[in-house]
Amino acid sequence: MKYVILGNGIAGVCAAEAIRTLDLEGEIVMVGDETFLPYSRPMISYVLDGSEPHDKLPIRPADFYESMKIKPVLGQRAVSLDVENRRVQLADSTCIDYDRLLIATGADPRPLRAAHMDLGGIFYLRTESHVRQQVAALSTARRALVLGGGLVGLKAAYALLKRGLEVTLLITSGYPLSLQVDEIAGKMVLDELLRRGLKVLVGRSVRAFEGNGVVRAAVTDTGSRLPCDMVIIAKGVLPSRDFIPRQHIHVDLGVVVDDHLQTSAAGIHAAGDVAESVDISRGCRWVNALWPEAAVQGRIAGLNMAGRPVVYPGSMSRNVLRVYDLDVLTLGHANPGPEEGCRIVWSGGPGKGRYRSLVLKDDILVGAVLVNQVEQGGVLCALMENRVPLRLSTSRLMAPDFNFACLLP
Amino acid sequence: MKEVIVHPKRCVGCMQCMPACATAHSRTRHLVSAVLETPQPKPRVHVGAGRFNEGFPNRCRHCDPAPCQLTCLTGAIYRHAGTQTVMIDPDRCINCASCAMACPYGVIRFHEDPLGPPGRAVAVKCDNCVARVAEGQIPACVEACKVGALTYEERDTAMKRQTLAVARSMSSGAGEPVLPPGVGLLRTMKESQVQLLKG
Repeated sequence: MKYVILGNGIAGVCAAEAIRTLDLEGEIVMVGDETFLPYSRPMISYVLDGSEPHDKLPIRPADFYESMKIKPVLGQRAVSLDVENRRVQLADSTCIDYDRLLIATGADPRPLRAAHMDLGGIFYLRTESHVRQQVAALSTARRALVLGGGLVGLKAAYALLKRGLEVTLLITSGYPLSLQVDEIAGKMVLDELLRRGLKVLVGRSVRAFEGNGVVRAAVTDTGSRLPCDMVIIAKGVLPSRDFIPRQHIHVDLGVVVDDHLQTSAAGIHAAGDVAESVDISRGCRWVNALWPEAAVQGRIAGLNMAGRPVVYPGSMSRNVLRVYDLDVLTLGHANPGPEEGCRIVWSGGPGKGRYRSLVLKDDILVGAVLVNQVEQGGVLCALMENRVPLRLSTSRLMAPDFNFACLLP
Repeated sequence: MKEVIVHPKRCVGCMQCMPACATAHSRTRHLVSAVLETPQPKPRVHVGAGRFNEGFPNRCRHCDPAPCQLTCLTGAIYRHAGTQTVMIDPDRCINCASCAMACPYGVIRFHEDPLGPPGRAVAVKCDNCVARVAEGQIPACVEACKVGALTYEERDTAMKRQTLAVARSMSSGAGEPVLPPGVGLLRTMKESQVQLLKG
């Protein structure tokens, strides 16, 4: 059996490890764009803010590929996939045959369309190499501009503030983290960052950059000029699936997978940021490009590829963010629209030091936002993942003394 | 292999396991000196109140596969090969709280720990008292428990005993009830009290 894994991120790594628990002899080839050892992608913002060194990023030993008997093909991307002949072509024109294929190519930063993107000092925040360049650029940077008020944008802004830079955050929606949390929690995060010196511009985007070799200013769509010597673009990510032939494999925003993480083509599985699975809390297909989901999907895809059928129950959005004295944990469909028929209950808020919001559909918990005292978040997450009908009142679920014992008969 | 087994119905909520646990995870490992330590050692077993104010000693189940281990961003959470205990390496932990959203029992806490790196908060949870067990002692929470809500034994032994007790209590002319009468009475009183307050 010859397994080919496209991608050496956490989904690919977990898949290879899962395959090896069942198949010690099969050949495993792993194709990776990044040449660095398997590392913790979410940790790069900790390297940027200076709390962790770059050399702490690897999460597998230096002999990972050897010890797992994996043939690594690094610094390469797949450019085309021949489903009928079971063959993948790489950028340097080499072809690799497979019996089982895992598409775990992840996602790339959503590109920004602006003039003079080639100037120095303009970065995305996605890979260890990005953060390495950013840390090197810190010594000469004074004024930073962060584009995007999502999780990555916020983490970047927080990191650069901690590094002592003057930071301006540009967000297109009315408040940060609008995809992850509701307005109250979003404002609590924003207030905390404003209190620490962050500048925020709402409802504006960047049209062009100016500078001589390196960036000196950004020009917004309203024509105003924002001086800066470092820019971090964080406008989300897009699944890396351009090489996939759509006539053979069902591709939506991501590669659509079934409940065994198999794509619409037999023998081809997908996992991680590129996969589109059923979202448990939303009840529809969704790309949940998240590290914990990628790890679990990789593991389950690997087991299925090696011949042990394992069901993947579906994905769910989840995030945790710590900025200064604020802990924010968000689960599931935390910010539904008014037309979705969800009931939202909340308590606490700005000035209270604590906030809770629960989203319910009938008697099932489908979303939650917790600001501070996040230790019991996992209990709520388990209720959501298992779609447990609630017996406990929402006020008990939100109370400071809520704990696992409250769920016992 | 012996492990800590929780008998939830026996817990009277006295919380004595908590200071015992904190002491076992302090630098000096004596109650009197442990309370004077900085940072203060904290318990890794958490007695919570249930719906009827009954106690429940909530501690890490050392799940397999462990959701916290799968979700850990840095690989700080690992399984101790010999004892199957899920452990956290405090020097690899970056205090990101990803494990907080993974643990279905809510047993992980985040604070500076006497046994962790100084001046930095990390994720902290039950380690099955590996240090005490290596010295031939039993886990501190079990040693402190006066009502048999926490025992240290083979899982099969505990299961067999419970099965037998249930079978006997169901038979005619039954012997011992499954719960000691005092513990049963306390639980009934707590439940009635909550019902009364509600009514």
